[in-house]
Amino acid sequence: MTAHLTRSHTLPNNLLVLTREVHSAPVVTCWIWYRVGSRNEISGRTGVSHWVEHMLFKGTPEMPAGMLDRLVARNGGIFNGFTSTDFTAYYETLPADRLDLALHIEADRMMNANFAPEEVERERTVILAELEEHANEPWTWLDDAVRAAAFTAHPYHHPVIGYEADLRAMTRDDLYAHYQTYYMPNNAVLVLVGDFQTGDLLRRIEHFFADLPAGPPVPRPHAAEPEPQGERRVTIRRPGPAAYLQMGFLVPDCRNPDFAAVAVLDAVLGGARSLTFGKEVQTNRSARLYQALVETELASSTGSYFHPSYDPSLFELYATVNVDHQADEVEAALLREVEKIQQDGVSDLELTRIIKQVRAQIAYGSERVTRQAMMIGMWEMLDHFGRTETLLEELMAVRKEDVQRVAQTYLTTRRSTIGHFIPTGNEE
Amino acid sequence: MMRDTRKVNTYGFMAYPALPPLFGTNSPGPVGGLSSTTRQTLSNGMVVLVLNNPSSPTVSLCGAVGVGAIHETADRSGLADFTASALIRGTRSRTYQQMITETEARGCSIGADAGNHLSGFYGKALSEDLPLMLEILADMLVHPTFPEPEMEKLRNQMLIDLREYEEDTGMRTTRALRSLLYPPDHPYSRLSFGTIETIQNISRDDMIAFHQHYHPAATSIAIVGDVQPEAVVETLERIFGDWNPPETSLTRTLPDVPPLSGVQRCNMTIPGKVQSDMVMGVHGITRTDPDYYAFLLGNLILGQLGLFGRLGESVREKQGLAYHVSSSLQAGLGAGPWVATAGVNPASVEQAIQAILHEIERFKREGPTSEELSDARAYLTGSMVLVLESNAGLVSTLLDLEIYGLGLDFIERFPDIINRVSREEIIAVARTYLSTEDYVVAVAGPPSSSATCAA
Repeated sequence: MTAHLTRSHTLPNNLLVLTREVHSAPVVTCWIWYRVGSRNEISGRTGVSHWVEHMLFKGTPEMPAGMLDRLVARNGGIFNGFTSTDFTAYYETLPADRLDLALHIEADRMMNANFAPEEVERERTVILAELEEHANEPWTWLDDAVRAAAFTAHPYHHPVIGYEADLRAMTRDDLYAHYQTYYMPNNAVLVLVGDFQTGDLLRRIEHFFADLPAGPPVPRPHAAEPEPQGERRVTIRRPGPAAYLQMGFLVPDCRNPDFAAVAVLDAVLGGARSLTFGKEVQTNRSARLYQALVETELASSTGSYFHPSYDPSLFELYATVNVDHQADEVEAALLREVEKIQQDGVSDLELTRIIKQVRAQIAYGSERVTRQAMMIGMWEMLDHFGRTETLLEELMAVRKEDVQRVAQTYLTTRRSTIGHFIPTGNEE
Repeated sequence: MMRDTRKVNTYGFMAYPALPPLFGTNSPGPVGGLSSTTRQTLSNGMVVLVLNNPSSPTVSLCGAVGVGAIHETADRSGLADFTASALIRGTRSRTYQQMITETEARGCSIGADAGNHLSGFYGKALSEDLPLMLEILADMLVHPTFPEPEMEKLRNQMLIDLREYEEDTGMRTTRALRSLLYPPDHPYSRLSFGTIETIQNISRDDMIAFHQHYHPAATSIAIVGDVQPEAVVETLERIFGDWNPPETSLTRTLPDVPPLSGVQRCNMTIPGKVQSDMVMGVHGITRTDPDYYAFLLGNLILGQLGLFGRLGESVREKQGLAYHVSSSLQAGLGAGPWVATAGVNPASVEQAIQAILHEIERFKREGPTSEELSDARAYLTGSMVLVLESNAGLVSTLLDLEIYGLGLDFIERFPDIINRVSREEIIAVARTYLSTEDYVVAVAGPPSSSATCAA
């Protein structure tokens, strides 16, 4: 595999620029990341980060609403944006000779988004429709309830999309103030991966970005989730096709020395992930949870979920309860798998398998520049982009004892929130 | 059929929902482009397409056998998909446990499923593991044993998925739309993964019998990655060479589809829902129909380009009614429908339907603007490089070229094909197919008094 090294550059206005040349296809991807997400939101204004993200597609004086999408399409590109708990990101992936367009769009909308009042109103119902679309899924109700119970003092408590009442009450000024607070070069990271020459590229970047003024320092949230003092339980009773189970354990953030061991624990239970913590291929069927729950027909599907976060977050186990079984049985079976690791640890064979799986997931992920840039940007938001080049080594350095220890330390009853979705039939 | 049904946002909330890519999967890495593909027919009739793409140490594979849901009877609906999904559940030389252990231990993935006309198989591996992946694939395609206990486990998993579909607004509207668009004896009137009832009825013997129709002469396979094409062809000849089952003639003439007459509508209620899904549709065309490229451009402008075309502009951007709204042309080996879909608040369903009809009517009357047409052409031809960036994009494109007989020089010819389609042809196609008087609509959402059908 060609070693693609990421290079870092900082403009005088403190915009961090990360570049990686990849010449295997005439394609380039341009991402801009802002250090703001639902983690930066306060009570009563939930969903403001996501809504601001939507407004960045609604025009600037230079590129009125609708023009951006036409320009990207006309140039053979794809684009989107997303908001997470810890960051907000926007990207365009284009034929390599069209890169200027992406740079132009991102420099323009960092400072000049219109937030026209009538566009804000129209977007309100679009976002409410997005919320309703998620609410059609039973899992959304369970996931929201588990998070709300697991986090009492930290904003990971609320869903990224926000609460309906807050979305109905949000004003144009709330949105614009949020935009003005967080959208500035010193709070942004520009990531470019693809078929370019770095020297030429940096000149283009300076052309578009160097004159953007740096803003004041950005407020940093100080919320911390206190140490849990006992298990929490939530039950959702709603119409649904099956019973579902989701449990979360409070685990450290991705800068903690135990992070790699927790990631390996996740892989032992549910199969290894790529460096964006998604899965390029299925790896769960040979892993412990599937073997213990699906192969025994207690559950029709099961898995673990873990991803790197800025603040301590949840390590999750989930399952869809099979028709002839009860949620309690499945809960006990999930916990039994955790206890086995706490008592007996994991095997050398499992660790070897996981490292090979991670290597494969990394290789598949590197086939697309879009995915590579996502990985680089995500890690810079959470810690440092260099983690993309050291994480495999971190995982390889994890010993069996480390996995057992983190299971004993973090996957405890005291740190758990257990949620059941119980279908109520069709009485409504 | 292998789904993780837990739908929770992994990375966060997207500004716009993802649309399925227009070509194969997603994004020309290989030196010499697709024209340098080695295309060979093995001694048993199987067509093999292999392309060297040294840009990453991986290999992707996808292929298809010419059997699918159109070859099932109505009371065994889902048989093709059940059979394909069962291939990995045990062969003469491997148990299911061995299959998943051997593949997953290498980060290698293999699977199979079935649609209306084809049963597809696919795989991904590090190049060093290609020999193992091919060996397992051959084992699955040629020597599956459909072991009884595994079939029951798989059946139960499929039944849970089907129960979830019963309460999924998108699935219910799609199924209702199909039943309104096609007569009951037409396989397109059903969904290819069957129903709770038919999946319960399918026996192991049904699967063994259906598998007899898998034939190398009806099979194509595409392989792209860091591989040596001659060596791959030799390996395939060795491992598939003894696959020479007796010729089975499986022909299925699809019944005539009576033209739609008036508006047929189905409203369904599902407890616990807060949003309604609506789908409207008309009869469409096959991928090889002469009208295809005009329809492709028309659909792009109407319901996809930029942020979901004119439908997105009207229903989402101007009226704020929906987060997702778009249209799709489902043209394959058979003539699938053209459909427009939106997720809206129950109180806004009629407004959304009227808005979509209005945009279709306006498009038929005025046609695309010259700017829209040049944007659509530029998008289709410009974005080809994104489609052909990855091995996965390359294999699915190669397989499409083979299945539809488009030729390995298609990518070079494509810009010319697209640029020759005139504005008048697009208008003519829209006027021919996109009726605003004779169409079907299906809506599924929260309980209300308006349930009018039980599809």
